[in-house]
Amino acid sequence: MTHEVLIIGGGLLGCAAAWHLARAGLAPRLIEARGINAGASGQNAGSLHFQIERRFLEPGASGQGADIVRLNRLAIEEWAGLEEQLSRPLDIHMHGGLMLAESEADLALLASKVARENELGLPTQLLSGAEARDLVPRLAPHVCGAAWLAREGHANPRILADAFAHAARASGAVIETDSRLLDLHRDGHGWQATIEQAGQISTARARHVILATGHWTARIAARMGLNIPLYLAPLMMSVTDRTAPFLPYLIQHVGKRLSMKQTDDGNMVIGGGWASAPQRMADGMPDLDAPPHLVPDNLRANLAVAASVLPCLRGRSLIRSWTGMTCISADQLPVVGQVPAAPGLYIAAGGSMFTLGPLLARMLARSIIERAMPEEIALFSAARFAHLNAFVVPS
Amino acid sequence: MIDIAIIGGGPAGQAAARQTLGAGLSTTMIDEQARPGGQILRQPPAAFAVKGWMAGRLYRPLRRLLAQTEADIRLDWRGGTSVAGIERIEDHFRLTLSGAHGGTLLARRVLIAAGCYDMPVAMPGWTLPGVMSAGAVQTLLKSQQVVAGQPIVLLGSHPLLLVLATQLLDAGAEVAAVLMPQTYGRMARAVLPYLAGAIFTPGPLIAAGAAMARLRRAGVPMMMGARPIGFTGDGRLEAVDYAWRGQVQRIAAQAAAVSYGFLPQSDLPRQIGAAVRWARPAGGWETVCDGAMRSSIPGLYVAGETTGVAGADAAMAEGEIAGIAMALDAGVRPPSGMARAQARRARLQPFIDLLRAAADPGEVWPQATPETLLCRCEDISVAQVEATMAQLSPMADASAVKHRCRIGMGLCQGRSCEHALVRRIAAARGCDPDAVTPFRMRFPARPIPIDEIIG
Ligand SMILES: Cc1cc2nc3c(=O)[nH]c(=O)nc-3n(C[C@H](O)[C@H](O)[C@H](O)COP(=O)(O)OP(=O)(O)OC[C@H]3O[C@@H](n4cnc5c(N)ncnc54)[C@H](O)[C@@H]3O)c2cc1C
Ligand SMILES: Cc1cc2nc3c(=O)[nH]c(=O)nc-3n(C[C@H](O)[C@H](O)[C@H](O)COP(=O)(O)OP(=O)(O)OC[C@H]3O[C@@H](n4cnc5c(N)ncnc54)[C@H](O)[C@@H]3O)c2cc1C
Repeated sequence: MTHEVLIIGGGLLGCAAAWHLARAGLAPRLIEARGINAGASGQNAGSLHFQIERRFLEPGASGQGADIVRLNRLAIEEWAGLEEQLSRPLDIHMHGGLMLAESEADLALLASKVARENELGLPTQLLSGAEARDLVPRLAPHVCGAAWLAREGHANPRILADAFAHAARASGAVIETDSRLLDLHRDGHGWQATIEQAGQISTARARHVILATGHWTARIAARMGLNIPLYLAPLMMSVTDRTAPFLPYLIQHVGKRLSMKQTDDGNMVIGGGWASAPQRMADGMPDLDAPPHLVPDNLRANLAVAASVLPCLRGRSLIRSWTGMTCISADQLPVVGQVPAAPGLYIAAGGSMFTLGPLLARMLARSIIERAMPEEIALFSAARFAHLNAFVVPS
Repeated sequence: MIDIAIIGGGPAGQAAARQTLGAGLSTTMIDEQARPGGQILRQPPAAFAVKGWMAGRLYRPLRRLLAQTEADIRLDWRGGTSVAGIERIEDHFRLTLSGAHGGTLLARRVLIAAGCYDMPVAMPGWTLPGVMSAGAVQTLLKSQQVVAGQPIVLLGSHPLLLVLATQLLDAGAEVAAVLMPQTYGRMARAVLPYLAGAIFTPGPLIAAGAAMARLRRAGVPMMMGARPIGFTGDGRLEAVDYAWRGQVQRIAAQAAAVSYGFLPQSDLPRQIGAAVRWARPAGGWETVCDGAMRSSIPGLYVAGETTGVAGADAAMAEGEIAGIAMALDAGVRPPSGMARAQARRARLQPFIDLLRAAADPGEVWPQATPETLLCRCEDISVAQVEATMAQLSPMADASAVKHRCRIGMGLCQGRSCEHALVRRIAAARGCDPDAVTPFRMRFPARPIPIDEIIG
């Protein structure tokens, strides 16, 4: 039989896309090599960051910030409706977020960022150090300002993909774990996939295939002879022991890598884009399946940045650090939609796909259901990299 | 970079250090305790003067080894220091240390001889103050010279309780009773197949007999076939309930020492990805190794109870084997002594099998109720865990359950509850615990104050 849609990967993107497609009656089949949520979707910081991220403020990234704000505004509405759509609690907290400044230079950067965001319709506000400390009294006295966005926050990455998978199954999706895609090639007007399940090899045909395979996407595409400019971003996260609730907000830093929040249970979760080191395979290429090594200097630096703005952290203990991998695209923006050189093949990958995942999965599903890319996300279409596949011979 | 890092200063680590130092390899020994000795010879603080400490005949070889270790100036001893992280980087290892000698340590070869710890057993009332593991009661006694409380009831399936009872009597404590759930008949049937082989290492058997006689003389009731049910008390332990000949009995106690067995320390081997398997009979994960104590990771060796709970004599023999193997693999020592050490280890096996059979909590495992906490760090009850498991697919692994209900997410990172969760998942699936994927072990193996990391 031929599936209408075959989804590869059971992370947030794959599971959410499966739900939207299933609700539209397309009965997708999803195969996941390990378990649902076993990749970046279950390992990330859970930040819902809708202000322009620090990485877009670095020299050379000037244009993208504006593009991402458009998407972020849509994502805010997506998250606000998610618990109702999935009719279950998802630990979504949108009580606000602060991007901090520790110096005059930080403050200047914040001010220009807030002005730009306001122009683009994002209601961030510039706060003084004292105003920031009114919100979070434990902030260090030298924190001299902050950008405040009332609808930022965080959610629980441990449960979200599962909630989508659950809902997708209930709407008729078939979801199979421990099922790995080995090979994918064109077959008439559709695709033929070779799949390994519990040591058994089988094939499946599908009209549309979604590669929702996170940081594996570029390598899978490369095996098919397709160039997708996605690059590995190995990261790390840390969590402390519990403490009484005092921080309902997301904390970021405009000049340094930092994200920080307190979970419902009281633990402090600390990250912000500090690198870990991938394990290497015999040929020197990064091992995409093995957890990267923690980099001790980065762990120290990450915790130091956190404790510098929130000195009370010095009294806490680190109970767990972990590493995970995600990917960023050549221009740091998500890459979503059909790959022009491979009609019927869809991808959805790039940075910050927790914050943007629910929205982009919906858009991706729409582009299959409506046979056209939704106009809202045209800017993020995979077609912008079509030139990279100019010399590909269709297989 | 040093040649050899030895994690654990118990009998296994010490025996290995004798070999590596003898072969001229630079050797660093790291242990959380202030002084070497491991669990069995847990030393009092240096400032204490304790007369006749651990004077028994069985401890003599261990004391001799300890004296040699402490006198050896070639050994780089780092006490009061935990190994929180272990990674293999190219052809060497990086250890992350926390405590008195914090920082990182690079070593060409590593031996994990981290021993074992008391298996926490979730039963009604087990989190009441006053309810302790037998090892904790013994540690207070050996090291701090403190009796945990009295009258004290000793309960569980492990014969270590007999040793502990005599040590408590020697310290002048009031031992109210020793409750062991196996009947004499069951215990005899279990050990019979191993008795003939174990007769070649009669020391511990004679000691067990002597301990029972000692209890009898002291008038301590030693009740075989008494099944512990749970603990009661208002804010702290007041009594222990047990079933005896079909009736529920209650015995007053200020303290209780529980022992159903020991779990091998497995956090560091699992963090670095060494192969482990489910340990018998009590459970937990023992690290797989070859006859020369090499783990599945090149350059990483394991010895002592990290490889399975087998007692101090086996730990010493395994440490010696590992030490010789490290020297051989480093190419600095002619191959001698290996066969002798391996034969010594092999001779101990019948007794080890006998002890495991005798201690097996198999069908006498205590029952938890739905309200009993399985995870005491995060206050997760049996009922919550079962409800979570019911929502998941039967193939869900331990981490999936953890992510949903927070079992194992607290300060101990699952050291206490993981074994119980794995057993429950295995029972629900009708498979062997070995087939259940356990929690993923991560850095740090022990909580580290953030202040210490930042410096
Ligand atoms: C440490 C860390 C912190 C982060 N913090 C944030 C944050 O705070 N906010 C934010 O917005 N984003 C954050 N991210 C990024 C975010 O987590 C990812 O962008 C997002 O989860 C990607 O989801 P995904 O479904 O595309 O990929 P994944 O969750 O990685 O899912 C891909 C799935 O595909 C499966 N797969 C791969 N190959 C095959 C195959 N051949 N056959 C079958 N299945 C296969 C994998 O097993 C995996 O389950 C963070 C990422 C990391 C690593
Ligand atoms: C509490 C307790 C009491 C015991 N009492 C007896 C007894 O009375 N009689 C008996 O025959 N057997 C007893 N045993 C069993 C006993 O442990 C073994 O027989 C023997 O000591 C094992 O030797 P070993 O070298 O394998 O480990 P151990 O003697 O346990 O030595 C391991 C050492 O490693 C250290 N360590 C572990 N992890 C780390 C880390 N991450 N970083 C730094 N250091 C670390 C520990 O502090 C410990 O000192 C007891 C076990 C326990 C747990």
